[in-house]
This record gives sequence, structure tokens and C-alpha cells, in this order.
Amino acid sequence: MPTAKPHSSTGTKPSAKKTKLKTVKLDATSEPPGKKLRTSARLPVFHLTGSEHHPPLTPPQQPSFSQSQTQRQTKDVKGKGKAPLLPVQQEDDRLWVDKYEPTIEADLAVHKRKVEDVRRWLSEAFEGGPTGKLRKYRRILGLTGPAGTAKTTTLRVLAREMGFEIVEWRNSMSERAPSHFDNDFKDLDDNHWMDTEALFDKFQSFLKRASACHNIFSESVSQSSTHPRASTSSGQPSKRHLILLEDLPNILHFPTQARFHTALQSFCDSSDVGPPLVIIISDSGLRGENVDDTCDFSGGTRWSKKETIDIRSALGADLCTSPYVTRIAFNPIAPTLMIKALQAMLTTHFASTTEKPPTKDIIEMIVESSNGDIRSAVMALEFACVVTLPVKGAGKGRRRADTSGRGSARAVLEAVTRREQSKGDPPATHLSAKDAAKERELDETLADPSPLPDWLSEHNRKASRVCVETLASDSPIDSSLLGLYIHQNYTMFCTDVDQCDAVSEGLSWTDWIGGHLPSTTPYAFPTLTLSTLHALPTPVPRKGQKVCKPSWFDVRKKEQAAWEGVGDVAGWLGHVGASVEHVPGRWTHADIAVELGGWLRAADRSNNAQLQVPRAHKLFSHLPWGTAGVGGDVLGENEHGEADEGEGEDDMKVVRALRDQEEEKGWWLESDDIEEVE
Amino acid sequence: MLTYPQFRPKTLDDLHYHQGLSIRLKSLAASADFPHMLFYGPSGAGKKTRISCTLRELFGSGVEKLKIDQRVFISPSKRKLEINIVQSNFHIEITPSEAGNYDRVVIQDLLKEIAQTQQVDLNAKHRFKVVVINEADSLSRDAQAALRRTMEKYTSNMRIILCANSTSRLIAPIKSRCLLMRVAAPNLEEMQIVLEHVAKKLKFDLPEEASQQIAEDSGGNMRKALLVFETLKMQSPDLSGPLTIAKPDWEMYCHKVADLIVQEQSPARVMEVRAKFYELISHCIPATIILKVKLSIWVPNKLTDNSQTVAERVVERVDEALKADVMHWATIYEGRMRLGSKKVFHLEAWTVKVMSLYKNFMYNFDMADFE
Repeated sequence: MPTAKPHSSTGTKPSAKKTKLKTVKLDATSEPPGKKLRTSARLPVFHLTGSEHHPPLTPPQQPSFSQSQTQRQTKDVKGKGKAPLLPVQQEDDRLWVDKYEPTIEADLAVHKRKVEDVRRWLSEAFEGGPTGKLRKYRRILGLTGPAGTAKTTTLRVLAREMGFEIVEWRNSMSERAPSHFDNDFKDLDDNHWMDTEALFDKFQSFLKRASACHNIFSESVSQSSTHPRASTSSGQPSKRHLILLEDLPNILHFPTQARFHTALQSFCDSSDVGPPLVIIISDSGLRGENVDDTCDFSGGTRWSKKETIDIRSALGADLCTSPYVTRIAFNPIAPTLMIKALQAMLTTHFASTTEKPPTKDIIEMIVESSNGDIRSAVMALEFACVVTLPVKGAGKGRRRADTSGRGSARAVLEAVTRREQSKGDPPATHLSAKDAAKERELDETLADPSPLPDWLSEHNRKASRVCVETLASDSPIDSSLLGLYIHQNYTMFCTDVDQCDAVSEGLSWTDWIGGHLPSTTPYAFPTLTLSTLHALPTPVPRKGQKVCKPSWFDVRKKEQAAWEGVGDVAGWLGHVGASVEHVPGRWTHADIAVELGGWLRAADRSNNAQLQVPRAHKLFSHLPWGTAGVGGDVLGENEHGEADEGEGEDDMKVVRALRDQEEEKGWWLESDDIEEVE
Repeated sequence: MLTYPQFRPKTLDDLHYHQGLSIRLKSLAASADFPHMLFYGPSGAGKKTRISCTLRELFGSGVEKLKIDQRVFISPSKRKLEINIVQSNFHIEITPSEAGNYDRVVIQDLLKEIAQTQQVDLNAKHRFKVVVINEADSLSRDAQAALRRTMEKYTSNMRIILCANSTSRLIAPIKSRCLLMRVAAPNLEEMQIVLEHVAKKLKFDLPEEASQQIAEDSGGNMRKALLVFETLKMQSPDLSGPLTIAKPDWEMYCHKVADLIVQEQSPARVMEVRAKFYELISHCIPATIILKVKLSIWVPNKLTDNSQTVAERVVERVDEALKADVMHWATIYEGRMRLGSKKVFHLEAWTVKVMSLYKNFMYNFDMADFE
């Protein structure tokens, strides 16, 4: 019996192995199946299949294969020519993200508790937990979270540590489909050798074979299950594997989605407990243009309008609530953890050279702008090391590249509010003499508008220093996002309710003329800016206000979750009531949300065993007064609030301390940033 | 499980109130030419119950054999829409607002399909099928226009029964093609009768004062009254002790928000109120409901305890001279909310407007007093 590769040998050559992995990612079909997707120990059967059916290298594959070889040949030259900063003896030119991918748990920037959750699930899936009975229910694990929160990496690291194999599904290109197998098990079946299968059929047979493959090892597995102690020891050659779905079939297509659900359902239902399945889904964020739900009367629109993949649409409502599915949500990576990880990476990278690593400022700036996305942070860090930029410039460049547009939004908003000092106002105290002189110069170019007649005298304003046209044409953000930011922050700059009234009236008006379709009218941006400028007091009071991120995004997310709870209850009512002549449709979603709350709570309290009310109803039926949840976020004092959530107490403290520090250093916009935008 | 739906009246004779309406419906069902109908009235008044009773009167007990279908429609942009359809051999019931902006497609396809098939059951009392359209007032203009044409064209094979809260959002051509049936909210006595009837069916002793309290509390909404009854029953099996009919969380919440608005008018308070609005919205309370004002609220010089929403509560608490203005702005901003895309902007604009009005009013009032 062939033995698995010892752990140590794989550990010493992580980079070489990862090259292979990378190549696989580029073209899924070019490598012999036996080598593909190998993360830790080798399994005997893969060797067999690999050697028996070596896929012939056919023309379409050839270029890609040779290309990767030529890449490898030329990379020394490239490495030298491209970046003199890089150490000369540097051997591979892979991106840092791949080169320094963590291989042990200690290197992971994920919070320990999360890793522990995943590890527990995996060990339960393989060994069945303390009683050995949990195995049946550990069938599907959904890992969710924003992009770049190390979901996949965590799984890979754990695979290495716990010694199991990851079998991954990848959608292959359709033109290669006829004669090629897109997974390891394809070639086991001769009937499908030349078939032109639909992509989804391939997926189904992949799933079938991936779980059926277990049978081949059933002997050894049953052995190990009789001696659970033995199987946990690290020296034991691994017989275990799990199925990873990251590249999902096109489930936005309705029939495909339905088939996908049935495939997963039958996967769960099958009496034979095969390998567990892990689905990784990146959350997609909300955008400022997103429309609140237009239809207040029923939740129907919400279900038919879904355009992004989330765990619910991927698994289907039934499966989502079934005991077979566990969901672990990853949070954005906390700044402390990320700084630690980046610094560790820099230490490794600069250990062999005399080059100076980037300063702490740069790292902090990168971490701040990355919003908890470690992949983008590493990319930014690599960029910062390749190109030497003045510290200041580097920071700004990245702030611009901020994916959510948050930085630029803040800049524009600052331009609207802070700059609203009219001609002749005394210069603000924080301005240097030079800036004050500049402002005086600017004032001279501005002509005061002709005075308004008496009955309009309340609208008299001095000439503004803000040039709306330039602002509109240079703005990197659109009016809807600007509107959200103004809405979040305007109250701080008003001294009186009447001013608030004028600003919010302007917001309401702009939103109204804008209609449902984003950016249909070119007037929205100038109207919004002008109405805000007109409404704000002159001069705008400066008390060191801090511009915050709109809490609308978080609220919207919460609302969507709550509506899903309503949907669950609606489904439950329809389902249970089917026997009586109580049909769905009698209760609209809005009715449930508004009227059924009291009854649901009473049903909860009554502890009636027959009443299996969906637990999710708490999302909308419980509304205690004075919950600090939204209130705290509204003030938006803490932009990384979401990153802290669920992390340990000590982390919180560190983060808070760090934040205070940063604020002192002017982590909010500095005046020169605004100059740039204007 | 909810128990009261079991006791929903099945025939027109079983109905407890609006006897005049029942008689009229009965004679209409008996006559050969049954018109298109539009049932309208406040929610919980019994529109759908009356519709199902009428259907039973028309076709007999066959209409109670229901099946639930999920139909897929394809919009012009090739988007698939799933709509739940409840149907029997004689009628079909849809809620087109589930299709959102594409309700026109659903209406057209479905009606055309039904209109083109004849009734196959030779024993059927009538040759036509009935299409029940729920929430007709949330149909888009397009869909209403499509409906108007179909109503004329296929009268021989099909009758339409619309169900709506108010006729004001329906276009005039539709209203003129239908026989309008107003189902008013039941009054207190009628509600008590129904409550006692249900209690009797449940073999449950409902004290007089309890039923009265429930009826008063639910403000003419029969469904709400029955729900409250059932909730109370679940809380204390014999309804002993002092009854406390807990308002839904969100109503209490709205009251407090309204109090916040009236207490203080400042930019900081605006932020506070906004946080509360966000909390309401994230608990699925539609923004239009937060701004809703029932007309019954406006009883001069009387503080009723019936207010549910923020706007109602504010109207209650402000001075007589301001009430009209507060309502005026509520309507303006509700209209904008329906056309715009961010609900919270309009909610807040209304709040700030009210604050500003209130503040100026109080200020002038004080001055006048002083002089």
C-alpha cells in the first residue's frame, strides 16, 4: 500500500506545490488528473487512475501548457527588469498573495475562533464528533463572507493540517467540453468519454462520483471509524477528502438553479454518508444606487428580483434550514490581525535582502483602505514595495483606489460642506497663513450675485467658493452615493432645524426626480449640491465633525435578512395551512410583518410543541425600544465596526486604542486631500 | 397553527354582518349576467371572505377544491417570473403585485389564456370562469391599462373580481367597468358577535368585557381582532385576570418616535429619530405605513388611543392649527417615497419639516402670549 507523503516534506516546499495549484487554476484541464488539486497527502487511487488514463495532450491544451513553461523560463529576466527593488536572487514572480499564502494555522489572519469553528465542523464531518453520530448531519458547510477574508485559505490550511484532500469542481470552458474531462473522476467512465455533455450534467456526475469515490475507500474508512483514535493521529496516512464548490454552476439561471438544488438535496439525502461538501460564497455588497424595495405591499418582488448569489439562492430555502447544512460566516479581517499578518509577510520577504521595508505608516494606510479585504491589502503592499513612492503620495494613490469609493465620497462631501465658506468670511482657524492668502485671492475672482428683491431676501447668500460645475464633472462618485453621504452627515453641520429642513427637502426632492433608474437625469448631482450649499449655514460651523459612512448599507442588509424571515413565516403559514382551506396569498408579506408579530411572540412563549414557528421571525417581530445597535452605527464612529463583530474582547480593545491613535494622526481627511478633488 | 381560519364563513348566509350586501351578492349570483366586480374597503373588513362566499354561491362547493400552482411567466426582457396561483375548476386567484414591475405580462398572459378556454364542465352553473385579482390597487398603470382592454374583449368567457383597499389608485376606466362593492369595516357590536361566534366554536368562554376590549382595540380590523383573541388565548388559557392587549412592538415604537419629534427640535434630535426610523425599516415595517394617517384619528380636541403610526401620533399631539399641515406634508412625502428610491430620505424630510413647523409655531405662539 502506497504511503502518503509525510507532512514535513509537503511543508518544506510549499511554493513549488503552489505553483502547481496556480497552474491548475489557469487551465483546469491541462494537468494530469493525478496531480491536480493535490493539497496534502496523496491518495493511492488517484495514482492509479492518473497513470491508467493519462489524458492525451491535445492541441487546445498545448499552448497553455507551454505558455506556463515559457513563463517560468523568462521569469528571471522579467524579475530583474521589472523591479530593481526585488531581491536579485528572487526565483519566482508570483504575486505575493500566492507566494506568501499561509500554510499553517498560526499564519492565518482569521480570528482563532472562526478557524476553530471550521475545524470542529470538519472533524465532526469526518469522525462524527464525540458520539460519532454527528457525521450524518455534517454534510454541507457554507462559508460566507466578503471577498478577501481568507475563506478558501482557511480551508486549505486546515486540509493540510488535518490531512484530507480537497476535490474541487471547476466550470470548464465550453469549447473544450467535448473531448475533455474537467474533473478527476471523469475518466473512470468510458461511456461519457466522447459525449458532449451539458455543463450541468458534468456537474452532476462530478458530484455523484466524488461522493461515490468514497466507496473505494470504504474498507479503510470503516477501519478508521472503528478505531477513531488511530485515525486522528497525524502520522496516519489520510484517506479522507471533501468536495469543494467555489466555482458554482450558473445558478442565476433558474432551471440550473433548480437542478442544482435537487442535486444537493439528493446529496444530503443519500443514505450512504460520503465525503462532506463545502460551498464557498463571497458576499456581494450593496451599492448606493440600489433602490429600496419599491413595492410595499408584498414581498414578492424580493424573490423574483434576486440578481446576486447568496447562500440562500445557492442552497435553496429548504436546504438552508435543514440540519444538514451548517453556515459559518467570515467577518472582514480585523485591522490588528491584518497588520500583524502583513508585517510577518514583510519580515519574510525582506529577510534575505538589505532593502528597506515600507514604513509603518504605509502599512496602516493600506490596512485602513482595504476594508478588511486581506487579498487587496497584500496586493497594495506588494505594489507599495515595488514602486517607491513618497509616503504621502502612496497613501493618496491607494485612497483613490479604494474599492467602495468611500474615501473619494468623503472627499467630495468634505468639499461640499467644509468649503462652504463664502467670500469675505474670516479664514478658518485651522488654515495656515498661506492658505488664507490663497482664499483671499480666490475671493477676489468671485463676484457677488446681484441682490435679490425684498420678498426673496431670505434666500440671499454670498458667493460660494465651491464651483458646482467642477465638482460635478470631477466627482468620482454619483449623486445617489453623494446623497447617502450628505444624508448621513448633514445634521452635524446645521445649527438649526430649519436648515436641516432645507437640506433634507433637497435630498428628498432629488431622490424623487431621480426616480428608480440610477443616473437617468444629469440634473441630480448639481441639484443636490446646490440645494445643500444653499441650505447650510454660512459660515458652516467647524467643530471637528467627522464624516461617517452611511448606515443605510447596514440597515439595508438587516432589512433584507428580516424580509427573508418574513418569507420563512409566509412559507410556513402556507405549508402548515395547506390542509385547512388556508392558502398562501391570504397573508401578504407586508401583512405578516405588520400584524402577525404579536401572535408569533405569543406562540414562542407558549412553548407549544405542535407550533414549529420558524425561528427567523424574531428578525422582524422583536422591536425593543432603545436598542443601541443601529444608533451606535449611525454615528458611524467606527468604520471597522463590522470587522470587530464576533472577535474576542482583547481584540476589541486593541482596535479601539489603535483607532484613537489614528484619529489623532488625522485619519479623517486632511485638507490637502480636498484640494486634490476640487 | 392559527385556528381561526377554520371558522371562516363559507357561504353568504354564514356571514355575520353587512346582511344587505350579502343579499345583493346572492341575487347577483343567481342572475344570469354576473358583472365584473370590485370589492374595496379597509383591510380586515372581510373582502376576501365575501369573494369566496360569492364564488361558492356561483359555482357550488366545487370552488373549494383548490390547488396551488407555481406558474412561470417570461417578461419581455426574458426574465423569468414565478407567480403562485390558486385555482379551482371554476376560478383562479392571483396576486400580480408579486411580479413587481412586470405585472402587465402576468395579467395579459394569464387572462388571455383563461379567456380563450371554454368551461369544460357541462354541469357548471355558469359558462364563465372567474379571475380574482388580489391587491388590485398595487397594479401598475400598464397592467391596469392591459386589464381594461381584456375586460371588454373576453366578457363571454370570463368575469373579473378585483380586491383592493381603496379605489383611488385604480384608473377610471376600470372602475367604470366594474360593479363597485364597498365592504365597510364592521362596527363594535358586529365584531363582538363574530368574536363570540368563534369562541363558541372553540368551546371557549369569552368574557363580555374581553370581547369588547378586543373589538375596540383592533379598530375595525376583523383579522386583527381574531389574531389578538388568539394571542390572548395562548397567553392565558382562561382569559382570567386583567386583560392587557399588547400593541405590536412597532406601534409602541412609533409612539415613542413621535414623542421624540414633538419633545425637541434640533439637529441632534434629527439624528436620533433617524436611528429609530432605521430600526423600524430594518424590522420590515414599510415606510409608507410609518407615514400613514388614518382619517379617524382626526377627532378635534379628543385624545384617542388609537394611533398606530408615527404620523398619527404626531397629529394627535400637535396643536389643532398644525394638524392639517402635518398631514399635508405626510401626503407629499409619501407620494415622493413611492416614486423615489430611498425611503428614509423622505421619512426624514417629513420629520424635519414637522419639527420646523412645530418649532416656528411654538415660537410665534410664545411671542404672542408674551405681548
